[in-house]
Amino acid sequence: MRVALFVTCLADLMRPGVAFAALRLLEHGGCTVEVPQTQTCCGQPAYNSGDRATAIALARKVLDEFDGFDYVVAPSGSCGGMVRAHYPELFRDDPALLARIEALAARTYELTDFLVNVLRLDSVPGNFSGTVTYHDSCSGLRELNVKAQPRTLLGKLPGVKLAEMNEAETCCGFGGTFSLKFGEVSTQLADNKCGNACATGADAIVGGDLGCLLNIEGRLRRRGDLKTQVLHIAEVLAGRSD
Amino acid sequence: MDVRSNEFKARAAANLGDAKLQKGLGLIKVKAVVNRASAVAEFGDFETLREAGKQIRNRALADLDLYLERFEREATARGAVVHWAENAAEACRIVVDIARQNGAKTVAKSKSMVSEEVGLNDALIEAGIEPIETDLGEYILQINDAEPPSHIVMPVIHKTAEDVADLFHEKHGTPRKTDPAALTREAREILRPKFLSADMGVSGANFLIAETGSTLIVTNEGNGRLCTTLPRLHVAITGIEKVVPTLEDVSTLLRLLPRSATGQAITNYVSLHTGPKHIDESDGPQQFHIVLVDNGRSKLLAGEMREMLRCIRCGACMNHCPVYQAVGGHAWGWVYPGPMGNILTPSYVGLEHAVQLPNAATLCNQCGVVCPVKIPLPDLMRKLREEQMARGLKPWPERLGLALWGWAAQRPALYALGTRIAARVMKWLGGGEKLIHRLPLAAGWTDGRDFPAPAGKTFRELYREKRK
Amino acid sequence: MSSREAILGRVRTALGRKVSPVDTAHIDAHIAAHPVGLQPPRDWEPELRFRARAEALASTVEKVSSLHAVPGAVARYLVVNKLPTGGVCWPSLRCLDWIGAGLGMEDRPARGDDLVGVTGCFCAVAETGTLMLLSGADTPAAASLLPETHISIVDTARIVPFMEDAWALARAERGRPPRSVNFISGPSRTADIEQTVTMGAHGPYRVHIILVG
Repeated sequence: MRVALFVTCLADLMRPGVAFAALRLLEHGGCTVEVPQTQTCCGQPAYNSGDRATAIALARKVLDEFDGFDYVVAPSGSCGGMVRAHYPELFRDDPALLARIEALAARTYELTDFLVNVLRLDSVPGNFSGTVTYHDSCSGLRELNVKAQPRTLLGKLPGVKLAEMNEAETCCGFGGTFSLKFGEVSTQLADNKCGNACATGADAIVGGDLGCLLNIEGRLRRRGDLKTQVLHIAEVLAGRSD
Repeated sequence: MDVRSNEFKARAAANLGDAKLQKGLGLIKVKAVVNRASAVAEFGDFETLREAGKQIRNRALADLDLYLERFEREATARGAVVHWAENAAEACRIVVDIARQNGAKTVAKSKSMVSEEVGLNDALIEAGIEPIETDLGEYILQINDAEPPSHIVMPVIHKTAEDVADLFHEKHGTPRKTDPAALTREAREILRPKFLSADMGVSGANFLIAETGSTLIVTNEGNGRLCTTLPRLHVAITGIEKVVPTLEDVSTLLRLLPRSATGQAITNYVSLHTGPKHIDESDGPQQFHIVLVDNGRSKLLAGEMREMLRCIRCGACMNHCPVYQAVGGHAWGWVYPGPMGNILTPSYVGLEHAVQLPNAATLCNQCGVVCPVKIPLPDLMRKLREEQMARGLKPWPERLGLALWGWAAQRPALYALGTRIAARVMKWLGGGEKLIHRLPLAAGWTDGRDFPAPAGKTFRELYREKRK
Repeated sequence: MSSREAILGRVRTALGRKVSPVDTAHIDAHIAAHPVGLQPPRDWEPELRFRARAEALASTVEKVSSLHAVPGAVARYLVVNKLPTGGVCWPSLRCLDWIGAGLGMEDRPARGDDLVGVTGCFCAVAETGTLMLLSGADTPAAASLLPETHISIVDTARIVPFMEDAWALARAERGRPPRSVNFISGPSRTADIEQTVTMGAHGPYRVHIILVG
């Protein structure tokens, strides 16, 4: 099974460990993983800002880079959702490329969805111990139906206890450029999320999207909480040793 | 109503700090959201019902001209007078003229968002005619110096019982009381004589039924029935998009609307009005006028926002929107708040007058998931962002930033270099704490949050190193 | 050009109409067929369902065996609840023996200060526990609206499962709708203040249903 890893721009810049963890998990599942070297971004920031032209340009680039693999896997519901749910719409007026884009979309998965529903992993290599609470990122949840998959995987770690937070499915307030443009509202929503997460007493807040996690951690630290960890699900499942 | 939508950001920020408002807004999650969820669960296959609702609304829109003509024909045959208003000014003129021609000096109003949209109350007052709001929420707003509603279904969702207690005590001169039942009774007693003496009743219409030429309103209080039964004139005013083909179609929509709005299986009253009263009937209006308002709807039908016309005005989108829950409806600055407002306000008043609104969303799609007629609200907001981009309405720093990002992202070598520099700079800024407290150009973030510093090397370079 | 023409013209342009006048056969057919949409499963018996839903929505419900028993039932209800024993009734109900039951029911239009209104109904909808009233010379709309207490007589043979069945019945028996068709599902209420449901707004404070059958 030839799998291409979609690193994501945030993992590349902010938390390479997430991409390495994803790589480890995929190899643990028996995949041959390649990392197309020229990849940069799925185009979602441009798309959500109304810059359709740039989004299309980046989508074409992604298509060229990720064509020809059995699967494309991204440790991100946003990026996975961009490719699966939105790329076809970007090419609705381009019949020549539409078929290839739809094929790419059909082969593209968010990480936990891939591990559970395609690889059907029985075990994961990580050894995390402690209570975690899971934040359901909006794109993963509502565009890709990612809900049970991360919880199923967490259940395979004997040392992990899952404590669900109230309003786990409510937006953390990141929303890409929303976090900058409407910072006050964004901060309030992040604060609500932190309050709900911390109320579970969890050692770690876990999620599948770095945008959300940076937002949650950022608010958490400003609130004075330097203790609670904020981790990507890949890091928890794969263990953090590089 | 004045359009203040370009003040959204400032008003939203202020509302976040308004403790009393926050208390009122806090009830949305425990009441409106929970009530809808219960009603949906009790129904069973709500997803199939939503699809059915979408199909019914699409069917009507696909032949909107034909259904409107059929509606007009049937309504007229039953004795109603159908008027067409291209815009707000014309809608007001029509209603004022009806009042004037019939010597109407007082108008008992049942809730109508379209009447807010066209500014009917102001027009009536200017013409020396007294409008009296009778829906409890709208009445509270009216006596509070015509404060605008903050929600399309629950107009005073932003007020506490204490607020209403103070207001009634001040405006009615009665002893102060805080019990909602007592306050409601007081409003009933004050308004009852007004219903009985009003010359004209004005209502909205939740739906127009083409088959029978009828208007339909859903209410709980009884004021809707009183306004449309007692006065000698009844004027129903609504948008042209409200037409629905048959009575059976409306029954399907009636399974969706109350559940989505308030968590009820059915509103306490559902009233179908067809023509004026018969000559031998003892109650009912002598004249029934129906004002069909365009005011931008036909333009929407032609464009990318067409799906928004399916809206049945339930309010579920705003109830479930985390942004609305945080800041309340007044931040939106016009008649329609929340996700539907993000689309309708720029569409009706012009994007340049409401340019913040399509951006005032995280695109989480909680709204789309609950919309009873499956309007893809985030997609429509994104399309407005595209229009904003195309029309040069984006602030230049944002345009520049996007352009740079997009340009670099298409050039891998340049991108790799740029990100390597950025990773190191940010790591340095984060210092020993690994937290950045202030980031230039990102005050929106760092005013309220730290920014976790990156590891310092990009994945790309680390991967290369490992594979050597 | 009139506003009507301008509006319809814009709508036609938006819909890409090429031919004028447009053939209306497809919409005529849909209206004539008026197909029924999605209904919830009917896993209940209508009278039981009607009663359960009506009570859940804060109406009170009792049953008597015949119309003759109705005035007595009304009298008992009013006395037990310390309500006035006089009010208005539909002209269609004037023949019942109100006086014999000690009640002062007048079949005249309701006034703002009437406290009790007795009506029948065209039919009742089981799905939601709803009364369907059609306005008419003998069935005025205000009788179920102005008084604080609304008492409605429901023939159990006129309880239909769904609203669509009610429309079908109305079409069959009346043809076109009258001025007002009112579906009533309990006492008036509001939740405008702090989203707290308060019973008794502008319409009746209480609804008492007397099933006859």
